[in-house]
Amino acid sequence: MIRLVLLAASALLFAASAAQAADDVLIGAIYPLTGGGSQAGLDAKTALTVEADVINGNHNIPGLLGKGGGLPHMGGAKIKIIFADHQGDPQKARAEAERLITQEHVVAIIGSYQSSTAATISQVTDRYEIPYLSADNSSPTLTRRGLKWIFRTTPHDEMFSEVMFQFIKDMGIKTGHPAKSVSVIYEDTLFGSDSSAVQKKLAEAAGIKVVGDIRYRASSPSLSTEVQRLQAANADVVLPSSYTSDAILMVKGMNDLGYKPGAIIAQDAGFLEPNFLNAVGPLADGVLSRSSFSLDATASRPVIAPLNALYSSLAGRPLSDAAAREIVGLQVLADAIDRAGSTKPEDIRKALIATNIPGDQTLMPWKGIKFDETGQNILGTPVIMQVKDGVYHTVWPDDVATVKPVWNVK
Amino acid sequence: MELTAPVSLRLGHSATIRRRQHALILGAVLIVALGLLPLPIHDVYTQNLIILTLLFAGLAQAWNILGGYCGQISLGHALYFGIGGYVSTLLYLRLGIPPTLGMFVGGAFGAMAALLVGWPCFRLSGHYYAIATVVIGEIGYLLFLNWDFVGGANGLYIPFKGESLIALQFRTSKLPFHYAALIYAAACWFIAWVVEGSRYGFAWRAVKDDVVAARSLAVRIFPSKMLAAALSGLLTGIGGAIYAQYVGYLDPESMMSGTLSILIALPAVLGGVGTLWGPLLGAAVLTPVSELLRSYLGGSGRGVDLMFYGALIMAVSLARPAGLVSLFVWPGQAKLRRRRGDAA
Amino acid sequence: MTFHVVAQVALSGLLMGLIYALVAAGLSLIFGLMDVVNFAHGELLMVAMFATFVIFQATGLDPLLQLPLVAILLFGLGVAIYRGLIARALSVQFNRGMVQIFVTFGLAIFLRGAVQFVFGGDFRSISGSLLGDRTLHLFGLFVPLPQMAAGIASLIAFAGLLLISRTEFGKALEATREDRDAVALIGIDRNKIFALGWGLGAATVGVAGALLAGFYYISPNVGANFALIAYVTVALGGFGSLLGALVAGLLIGLVEAMTALFLEPSLKQVGVYAVYLLVLMLRPRGLFGTI
Repeated sequence: MIRLVLLAASALLFAASAAQAADDVLIGAIYPLTGGGSQAGLDAKTALTVEADVINGNHNIPGLLGKGGGLPHMGGAKIKIIFADHQGDPQKARAEAERLITQEHVVAIIGSYQSSTAATISQVTDRYEIPYLSADNSSPTLTRRGLKWIFRTTPHDEMFSEVMFQFIKDMGIKTGHPAKSVSVIYEDTLFGSDSSAVQKKLAEAAGIKVVGDIRYRASSPSLSTEVQRLQAANADVVLPSSYTSDAILMVKGMNDLGYKPGAIIAQDAGFLEPNFLNAVGPLADGVLSRSSFSLDATASRPVIAPLNALYSSLAGRPLSDAAAREIVGLQVLADAIDRAGSTKPEDIRKALIATNIPGDQTLMPWKGIKFDETGQNILGTPVIMQVKDGVYHTVWPDDVATVKPVWNVK
Repeated sequence: MELTAPVSLRLGHSATIRRRQHALILGAVLIVALGLLPLPIHDVYTQNLIILTLLFAGLAQAWNILGGYCGQISLGHALYFGIGGYVSTLLYLRLGIPPTLGMFVGGAFGAMAALLVGWPCFRLSGHYYAIATVVIGEIGYLLFLNWDFVGGANGLYIPFKGESLIALQFRTSKLPFHYAALIYAAACWFIAWVVEGSRYGFAWRAVKDDVVAARSLAVRIFPSKMLAAALSGLLTGIGGAIYAQYVGYLDPESMMSGTLSILIALPAVLGGVGTLWGPLLGAAVLTPVSELLRSYLGGSGRGVDLMFYGALIMAVSLARPAGLVSLFVWPGQAKLRRRRGDAA
Repeated sequence: MTFHVVAQVALSGLLMGLIYALVAAGLSLIFGLMDVVNFAHGELLMVAMFATFVIFQATGLDPLLQLPLVAILLFGLGVAIYRGLIARALSVQFNRGMVQIFVTFGLAIFLRGAVQFVFGGDFRSISGSLLGDRTLHLFGLFVPLPQMAAGIASLIAFAGLLLISRTEFGKALEATREDRDAVALIGIDRNKIFALGWGLGAATVGVAGALLAGFYYISPNVGANFALIAYVTVALGGFGSLLGALVAGLLIGLVEAMTALFLEPSLKQVGVYAVYLLVLMLRPRGLFGTI
């Protein structure tokens, strides 16, 4: 009798697990869930969970895979995300990537916020021949190392900085007050050095003088001297590349010294974070930043409203730039798997190469997603946003702007 | 400088010789066992775990030579680790010198750095010395972060150019690295064994126990400390070179941070500072625990793995202040300790 | 580089230095008393900042008004840490020096994990406090009010610590520091003194935390930013010397700011460390060290 029960139970379990296996497409997600970048990592986790839920469930929202019910060309197979923590350490990122691939048998990996961790993850994925979808790593060098399995949906820092200078030029023409000088102020890790290098090069090319070049120690107790130097340099436009904590200190420091530059155009990161806005309140008004995502582009991107509702109910705050990029990253990856119709890495890779998604199928204000031969999305078109009354609004380019930009350059 | 050990230090001399012979035999057995270990294991994660454990066992032993046997608690050892890794990698990237050779150059630079640090710092006492090493480690980290020649904040990326034993590059197989790490750990252990029984080992124990009395034995303290520093720096540097080649990417954050310095010293302290087996035991416990905690508890992002890890360190420190080795007391050892009046 | 700029930077540096001094004072007390390197000192600062945040959210009480409350809370925590951990660490037979380094190190990791567990990894800040974001214009210099209040409070705290050192308790602390074995002979309960010393040290850093919370951001990892500077300040001033902590703190704040101004901001800490090492070579026990 007992044997019968056990047999039945094991048969049921086997059937259940077999059914499970047929349904679930396993994707690994490696993010900093503890340690210094844990705030960003946890947001990424929420974002990916939301998008997976959209794909698997029946929220029925507009856009690619918005109908839900799993992957249509794979019999409704569901996306299952397995999260791993790299703590911002390239070695741990590598170990987790290997674990996800060899033990959890994921068919693809998405990640990873800090570019240093992406460096090792992409090495692993290339060696194991598994696709790596870089949703939010912005270092340009990542797609320039001749790797075959990395695909990056987000624009990188060079593309972002180019947009910033296009904006500066445009503002100069429109308002008749062109910027003649810039100061770059940047933190001393990978993000800052990449970003500032590009900005200095672009400034030179545009004939704009770089009067301040201030590299500062990330997470310093105080940035007042650095801000002093900014003030002394007195550039028309200040270009900071900072994470949240430093952004808070910088803006407060400027207020402490009564310093108001003509324009502050930030390289996203800390400046777009809701925590930054909460911390500095009205002091942030007028701050500009490049952004991949336009929260207020709801007219041209109707999917933003339902996605934002889903996300903010879990995260307790609206969609951030990074979270939006993670959502579209997963959307693109899932779509490729769907088009491939299989979980074989080579098939997924071919499908990724063939990707050509129009921007309005996603929540991003981009022209679309199409990868070049290095794996970089070349249709990602960033926007410029500005804080007004404590909220970021899209101000440029004109076809997506919702408010007019305020430009105080003299 | 010949040291004529007085009777008190030579008490239990024959017991010591026997103990050391046993240690050597045990060491040989372990090496063979660890050499055979990876053969049935095909799971990459576990292989990685073992390699990291072996590397840290070696690093902790290298630290132990200076910190444990010689009593100079350095909390800035990541400096030598990073220097070793960077020198070896730069030689490979810029001059094509394979890391199997480059690691020794890296180690040499590590040794030089340790001498440079030791020379002014050894006269500082206890806490002052510890904090000085932390500060110097930080200076090294900041300098490398701002120095373009070594890649600065961008770090150095070691491209995969095809399988090669000399260049220590392998597509997915971890086996060669396992043996590299094993040889490294064994070498560190063996050097510690040699040092422990040498006249320097005696001198350092004397110095550690009672500096004033040691002086009366005409022990030249300073040169012997410098020797310990050089050895420690050399071995730590070599470890850094192996690690760099293994991970394939270096930046100051991952190679020279203050946290790394603590992670190098921790296995030695928790395992048993100044002992032969302490660092190995400590690494064997701490490395897997921290990796597993992170892999299986870190995913929640709630810091639970940190809480466990912190609690573990506190518990072991308090429950076993002499280190985990004190759990393994073999007959005669307790008697030996009492006779030597061990209270350090 | 006008005089104006230099003066402004010097002022910011000195104000920050007063904060460093206050964080270091608590550390110095504990060091001086029982030779214990508290590697969890940065985390105590962080806990104090979170405590201030929580009380502010719950009651709207301004951080400045919370000072006595947070001080008492941290005092309790310090005593608890002593009784629960440090007392045990001091009574071990082997490697006493190393055990307390690593016990407090383990505590630091634990506290970080625990706070992240309760509050998550987000950055918090206190907005809408009495002095938040306000600046005073004095002699052509900008003086941010929260930092100035912190500086003044720090000086008051030092004065307070000095007063305590004159009391019976203070003398007992000093006596225990000088010769912890002999004090039992004159009826001083060493354990009690140590516990109170820890409490006082923690309370001091608690005050620093409450002051910082007024203008700094709050997160589980924020302690690390101040920890190393605190150790350097104590070592520079001399373990066990309150005056040393004050002078060293001011010196370090100034050197840091000046290095950032005249040299390279990303190397400002190298400037501080270089000064520290230099002083140490000339005076191995720090500026005013007696141990």
